[in-house]
Amino acid sequence: MELTSGRAIDGGLHLAGVAVMGLVVLFLVVPLLVTAVMAFDARPYLGPLPPPGLSIRWFVQFFSDDTFLRGLATSIELAAGAVSASLLVGVVTAAALHRLSFGARQVLMTLFLSPLIVPPVVIGFALLLFLSAQGLTNGFWRLLCGHIIITVPYTIRATLAGVSGIDRSLTEAALALGATERHAFWDVTLPLARTGIISGAIFALAVSMDDVSVSIMLTDSRTYTLPVALVSSMRANFDLSLAAASVMLTGVTIVLMLVLDRFVGVNRIIGQGMFR
Amino acid sequence: MRAERQAYPLLVPAGLIFSAFFFVPMIGLFVESFRLYIPGNIGSAANAPFTFANYAELLTPSFGGYLLQTVRISLFASLAGLVFAFPLAWWITRRFSPRWRAIAVGFLAVLMFLSVLVRTYALELTFGSAGPFRQTLLALGVAPNGRAYIEFLVGAGLLHYIIPMSALTLLATIQNVDPRLVDAAQALGAPGWRAHLTITIPLCTRGLLTAFLFAFSYSISAFVIPMILGKGRVLFISNLAYNRFSEIADYPSGAAISIVLFAVALALIYVASRYIGRRWS
Repeated sequence: MELTSGRAIDGGLHLAGVAVMGLVVLFLVVPLLVTAVMAFDARPYLGPLPPPGLSIRWFVQFFSDDTFLRGLATSIELAAGAVSASLLVGVVTAAALHRLSFGARQVLMTLFLSPLIVPPVVIGFALLLFLSAQGLTNGFWRLLCGHIIITVPYTIRATLAGVSGIDRSLTEAALALGATERHAFWDVTLPLARTGIISGAIFALAVSMDDVSVSIMLTDSRTYTLPVALVSSMRANFDLSLAAASVMLTGVTIVLMLVLDRFVGVNRIIGQGMFR
Repeated sequence: MRAERQAYPLLVPAGLIFSAFFFVPMIGLFVESFRLYIPGNIGSAANAPFTFANYAELLTPSFGGYLLQTVRISLFASLAGLVFAFPLAWWITRRFSPRWRAIAVGFLAVLMFLSVLVRTYALELTFGSAGPFRQTLLALGVAPNGRAYIEFLVGAGLLHYIIPMSALTLLATIQNVDPRLVDAAQALGAPGWRAHLTITIPLCTRGLLTAFLFAFSYSISAFVIPMILGKGRVLFISNLAYNRFSEIADYPSGAAISIVLFAVALALIYVASRYIGRRWS
């Protein structure tokens, strides 16, 4: 008797679980679909769904908006600068950490990852006060400083993870064959660590492209990033060129994930458990 | 040993960057939070006297209200995220074929890496006061510009990140739970819900705590989501700090709010990691 009622509860819970999961997936996906459809709306105003006709007018509008284009240019320059700097520092630092004792490495890693636990608005505010006190008022350089500090923890961590996953005997073989410790690192270890380096670069790129909280503190009236321009436009007038921008940004995210999957394997980042 | 000594010069670039762009600015922020601010100025004057006024101001009920609101919405969103993400993660791990699992993981990863701007805009466009569900909301007696609904929207904004993030975190955990344990419990007569409640969930406590920690620290430092979806009626602490800076140029007060926010985030991480560490060391 107890067994049957237990199984009945199971059946009910099973159905409820499936229903909740369906709703969750809808909640995650429907807003993105609505945005994608509205981005192609032919009407010159924000009207109810569904749009009576389709056009690319909002994409054209996005690309004829000076504010967005200026922001886009700054964002691209900034991402290029910050990601290369962070990558370089990440590789050099991982090379150093790799040779340290376990204890020293743990302490330094905690320090190098500490920007990740500080709310980004706090980092932006602290950096603004510091850089203004140093007399640095140029928006681009301020933003570059901010983007380096929020991306470099990712490149250090990912590169070190890539370096640590390498069989020590390969390095030892290189050393036994006469390579110096430095040569062994650059010629053997580093090429083997490229998965780590690539995933670090992708994380850094995603962080730099998406950041608002740090950047909004460091912009000046002429230099601002695309996300900052989009946020202020969202607050001012909620038109559909933002939907067009959202579609393109989602496209960029999907491309980044595909690259990550191609070079690293998303499954490897998530990890494989014992029973899977 | 020689190798270790050779390693130190390689730490110089990181040392310089972290000192100049992070540690020294954070100390500067701490000092600024004790400076006297004279209204009308931009920031504190050089060598302004020290004061506790910026913190004393935060003891008022109005700031306490903002702090409480931030913590309350973050807490609800993080817990709801776990409730929604856990079955999703379990289902993907145990019921999907390897091919579908890879697709589901890719889908969740895209959702997690999605720009916060896209999330916010899409939610406002879909569920906002001018969205396609406006009539549905009115029919249900929900005011689309009411405070309760705006709080709900801010929570939804947080959940849109928390659910995929928690599901991915929990996937890794659930993969390590031996499915034979649940099978054994069911073979011995336990109904499925009981088997999961007493076996799967306790074995996943560590993963659940980790996901909760990520979700909660993401939420309390959220900035764009409450700024856009909150429409100025729901403000998180980070929005308050930004407003002090951008609207009235009261840097010392903004600094004090930032320090409080940092302290809350730090305390949370400390407590959670102590707890996780103590039970599973």
